[in-house]
Amino acid sequence: MKVLIVEDQLKLGQVIKQGLSESRYTVSWARTCAEASDFLSESSFDAIVLDLGLPDGDGLDLLRKWRQSGLTEPVVILSARDTVDDRIRGLDIGADDYLPKPFSLEELQARIRSLVRRQSTIKTTQLRHGEIEIDLLGHTAKFKDQLLDLTNREYALLEVFMQNPGRILSRTLIAEKIWSSHFDVDTNLLDVYMSRLRSKLETPGQAIFKTVRGVGYQLI
Amino acid sequence: MRTIGARIAIWYALAAILSLIGLSIGGYILLERHLFDGLDLLNESEFQQISARLGPEYQNISEPFIETRIRETTELASTLFYIEILKPEGGIIFRSSNLKSLQIPVDAELSKFNALIDEIGEVRVATFPMLPFRTIIATPLQPVRNVMQSYVKVCAALLMGMLITSLVIGLVISRMLLTPIRNIRDTANRIRFDNLSERIQVNKAEDEVTDLALLLNQMFDRIEASFNQVNRFTAEASHELKTPLTLIRLHAESMVRDEHISNKNRETAQNLIEEVDRLTRIIENLLFLSRADAQAVSLDLQANSINAFLENFKQDAVVLAEHSGKTFELEKFESREICFDPKSMRQVLLNLLTNAIQASPENGKILLKSFFVDDKWHLTMEDQGAGLTSAQCEKVFGRFVRFSNLKHQSQGSGLGLAICSSIVQLHNGNIHAINSDLYSGLKIEIAIPI
Repeated sequence: MKVLIVEDQLKLGQVIKQGLSESRYTVSWARTCAEASDFLSESSFDAIVLDLGLPDGDGLDLLRKWRQSGLTEPVVILSARDTVDDRIRGLDIGADDYLPKPFSLEELQARIRSLVRRQSTIKTTQLRHGEIEIDLLGHTAKFKDQLLDLTNREYALLEVFMQNPGRILSRTLIAEKIWSSHFDVDTNLLDVYMSRLRSKLETPGQAIFKTVRGVGYQLI
Repeated sequence: MRTIGARIAIWYALAAILSLIGLSIGGYILLERHLFDGLDLLNESEFQQISARLGPEYQNISEPFIETRIRETTELASTLFYIEILKPEGGIIFRSSNLKSLQIPVDAELSKFNALIDEIGEVRVATFPMLPFRTIIATPLQPVRNVMQSYVKVCAALLMGMLITSLVIGLVISRMLLTPIRNIRDTANRIRFDNLSERIQVNKAEDEVTDLALLLNQMFDRIEASFNQVNRFTAEASHELKTPLTLIRLHAESMVRDEHISNKNRETAQNLIEEVDRLTRIIENLLFLSRADAQAVSLDLQANSINAFLENFKQDAVVLAEHSGKTFELEKFESREICFDPKSMRQVLLNLLTNAIQASPENGKILLKSFFVDDKWHLTMEDQGAGLTSAQCEKVFGRFVRFSNLKHQSQGSGLGLAICSSIVQLHNGNIHAINSDLYSGLKIEIAIPI
């Protein structure tokens, strides 16, 4: 998978490049708007990671220019600006996702993967992972062929994991999917729901979810 | 604005009416005098006619002859004039028959005056010397009084007409005068943080209103400048703080991933990540507060059903409370659609709930009430915790406020309630803390105008 990073900060760029390369991404790194446009004119990418504050221009202007010229590559914006307005502006201009700083590498990878998948896969109505099965239309879930008794929130939570099996999902990402807000991260609401979901699915010695400290959770 | 317009109109009408009243009174006096003069002239001409009739030799004519002569002249105008001719030593030579036996009053000093004769009424009297006699001629005042009465009626009608037209004209004028001020008000009202660069249109005419508009524009310039400064500051602070935090976090993550690292160091790196998260949240909260102080937070205001919003919150609140062995209850009354930002209000309720859960004793109850009084949406959250002293209640919404008698507070950033307060204020509402009268603990009261 080919990813273009547009990041002027030397250290941050290095760490992101190294982190993504370790996960077998092919990473190109541009440090200015001009460099980024050069990369894009030479080859195509599966995803672009774009920081907003660049030395020779604003990332949003760059993105606008790309979208106007017909560039369709999925773009994740990295930004320290995180008001709702900034977010909306970014998404309006044509970003596919908006990741506020500081982020975890796991989260960046999860977002890139979900963007790439959004482009390619056909939507299904049934998801299956291990012995869990959910019906996206009926909003029901089965475990070992037994219908699970889940509340709305528990189902929504399970669905987020089933959409991203095996991936570490950050608390922010989960909160955004369920409450479409990241305020709730301040509380332990997510942990409470996770423990309730676990109590309905897991038996001693048979873990289904893994807690990744400081990041989030993973469906294994 | 409306009152100034009305005041201008009323002042204008008052001024117009008062001047009309003044003019009418002046006119009344002048007209009356003019009419009196006319009567005096009539009296005089009658006298001249009498004296002409008598001729210059009247002193030699016998009294009965005088009587006959005058009567011949005057009986023709018997309705118009009352005539007496007095002898110098007293007694009457002639008295017109329309007087019957009545006497015309005589004034010792004035030769022309008004007098009242019983049965006949008011008259204008003139005395003329016709030595050695004195001729007194009176003519009724009724025609003058009639004219004056009509004059008063006409004036009253004019005044009514004037009152109405001057009020209408006053309103139109005040509206015209206030139009530039109204424009200023509308523009000033429209200028909010998302169009701070809009300015009041300044007319070319250099008058007081232009001065006011210029002054306001200067004020908006300053507000815009300080507003931009805050925005720039928060954006820069955000960037300057969060970029290194991202680096710390990414490095710590790579340490956690490193297989060759000792468990102790991995634990340290984990703690580092958690502290970065905590710090990030504090930075975000502080930036939010500084933006809210500068009124630079945009609320996502939309009409929402209150009860649907509360039910949605209740789902999570019940679970959160249950998890800590507490119970949450929602008491809601009337549901309405009102404008508010559901995300930020949810944050307010979550912050309050988190505090309440931490303050509550085991099995404690937390009660959220929603009701409407006086066109305000009231929300109260009560717990059964230890509560606060009234001095602490005053300070509890401050920033980084921690009370040493509360153990649980050490977990938070000390900004949760400050943020609640900011969000409620952004909704033009108010929030305060008191001791619960229902429960033993703290009660937070929020009131948001609809």
